[in-house]
Amino acid sequence: MTRHPYPRALVATATVLLATIVVGASQDGPPPGQAGTRATIPAPVVAAAEKIATDPQVMALVKDQSTDAAAKARWNQFLELVRIPSPPRQEHLKAAEIHRRLVNELGFTPDEVMTRADGVIPASDTNIVDGLPVYNACVVIKGSYAGRADAQHYKGQFPKVLVEGHIDVVNPEELPKSGDPSIRIKLQPYAQPVVATPEELAAIPDELSFDARGRVIENDKYATASKVFANAREAEAGGGVRIYVPGYGDMMPSSSNAFVLAAAMKKHKIKPVYDIWICGTAGEEGKGNLAGVKQLYGFDQKAGTGSNPLNIVANFGLEGGGIVNFVGSYRFEMKFKAPFARPNGPSAPAAMAAAIAKIAEVKTPTDLKPGAPKTTYTVGRASCEPPPRPGMGVPSCSLEVDMRSTRKETLEDIRNAIEPAFQAGASAENARHGRKDGSAEGITLELMWYGLRPAYVAESVDNVAVHAGLQSGIQLGAINAPFVSDGSGSLNDNVPAHTGVPTYQFTLASSAAGAGGHAFWEWGTRGAPAIEVARMHRVLTAALIVSGFHAADGTVVPPAVGPIGKRTRDTVR
Amino acid sequence: MKRLILTLAFVVAAAGTPAFGQQSTGVRVEFQGPGGHSFGAYGRVSALHAAARTVILLQKALPAGSYQITNLTGGNSVNAIASDGIIELKLTARNAKAYDALVAAVTKAAEEGAAAENAFRGVKAGDLTAGAPATVRSIVTRF
Repeated sequence: MTRHPYPRALVATATVLLATIVVGASQDGPPPGQAGTRATIPAPVVAAAEKIATDPQVMALVKDQSTDAAAKARWNQFLELVRIPSPPRQEHLKAAEIHRRLVNELGFTPDEVMTRADGVIPASDTNIVDGLPVYNACVVIKGSYAGRADAQHYKGQFPKVLVEGHIDVVNPEELPKSGDPSIRIKLQPYAQPVVATPEELAAIPDELSFDARGRVIENDKYATASKVFANAREAEAGGGVRIYVPGYGDMMPSSSNAFVLAAAMKKHKIKPVYDIWICGTAGEEGKGNLAGVKQLYGFDQKAGTGSNPLNIVANFGLEGGGIVNFVGSYRFEMKFKAPFARPNGPSAPAAMAAAIAKIAEVKTPTDLKPGAPKTTYTVGRASCEPPPRPGMGVPSCSLEVDMRSTRKETLEDIRNAIEPAFQAGASAENARHGRKDGSAEGITLELMWYGLRPAYVAESVDNVAVHAGLQSGIQLGAINAPFVSDGSGSLNDNVPAHTGVPTYQFTLASSAAGAGGHAFWEWGTRGAPAIEVARMHRVLTAALIVSGFHAADGTVVPPAVGPIGKRTRDTVR
Repeated sequence: MKRLILTLAFVVAAAGTPAFGQQSTGVRVEFQGPGGHSFGAYGRVSALHAAARTVILLQKALPAGSYQITNLTGGNSVNAIASDGIIELKLTARNAKAYDALVAAVTKAAEEGAAAENAFRGVKAGDLTAGAPATVRSIVTRF
């Protein structure tokens, strides 16, 4: 076995930092590298990893990305993309900019961009999810397989490996109605406390500047923000700053670097056997309801089945995690409706408040017992319709609730504890005014939206994505042994896993520190560019193990999986 | 009985200053907390939970007919702990003194609602979570 090219300490440090960022801010899986169940890596995968990771073309790509100029280009692209607001289901601005860069700057032809501005992927049978278009941004690295005389396909779709990271971000909640939508990227010295309010954040004087084309201006503030550190302690001692911008931790550095990797593969003429799609996916956050991967996997929420219309044979997620078990979550939007908008009588906001107050008193196994299956809930958002006229009452109010657990049983328990609180809130408000539930003058309840992340519990850790993901890490020194965490998570990967498509996760990001994920104070500090390169090397190796690879010496590493992807229903188109 | 006493207190306050006319304006109660990932940061306080607790307290603290809740809002995503929560009310009193008493009652309820949420999650003033203030705080303004 060839020795890995990265110092183990560097990669190990990076892994710890990733765990800090990932667990604290960006996703729900356990730290990567955590001991769990040992996978049995087939010998061909071991050989493929060594062959691919040390291939001269691959190494030329790695060397190219290791220059200061390449590191700067990655950093600038991240800063320029992360400032484009991208709320779940409103990702079109960011997707459009990625589409533009792919063709105008990253070397792809329009034919290689597989997603359209209107959100349609022609080969998918699921282009509308929850009634809305899906703004994914995907590019293809063409493989050789379709040109073979014996090539197999599923309804015209040749096999593909998918590498994806989401491009939607929790904040801002909505795109601004008018004016420049760009997010201001604020810089704050470590010596100052983390901001306590949005007003404090807005009042920070130092921020990055961008020109009319959206390019970051390389002034003194940029120089400060661009300093590289190993961790928060070094950043504090060395004049580092907290860079406040939604998406820093979750997960634009990784998603942005996916397109850098795609461009590098194109530039260095990396030739897979199966096609590799590299995607920025929509709708991972909030009410996005995993819309992006539901489009890619043809997932029908009502039926709970995926048609895999694109014939994806393996999935790699870029949000980190290294897990194989995906626990579902329940999400509800409930509306409390007043029968008429008069100021007296049962009140919609009071009914909703009663429901929230009851939910707020719920204790989960996590609250009650150390080591219990992690089980959580939150009332994430609430809103009310304004009274139609002064002096009138509120017509309706809505709340959104999220429930999760690492175990199906405890997830059902928490649902059973919380779901009755919706009606209990309405009933309490009706009773307060002497009205009966269901009466013409009572508050009524309506289910507005139901979100589902389909669950999947792996019967075995042994599949092609896990093997490639682990062995690429072993080959390059990121991990020591082929263990898969026994933990569970809730990611885009829920959908491919539930559909039967093998999946594994890692990251392309490098952050020295960060916190505040999903909150207004999300921030990060730049980490070592060498870590990004090491991670690109690993992701590239893993994807090529699965897809197959035309090596520089003229030999072909065969695909590690057959050409027909799994699915749980047939495609209809 | 408590509610009756409160109502009487407000009536007395109103009666004591007959020279002033009826007061009816809006009050905004804002709650600010740290927010965070609904799963990864579970256990942090919720500004929205604090706001809802406060609404329930207001029902006990204010005389019937003296207030109308015109809005309850907060949070930014179903999978994020709400970092903000807002209650908007219209308060009506017979005179300025009674109105001030209503505002004082609202302020007290907001503080108690925030305190209840902080107590439920076991945090106190000065605590930090990932460097940010760990508690939910309230502020009441007239508009």
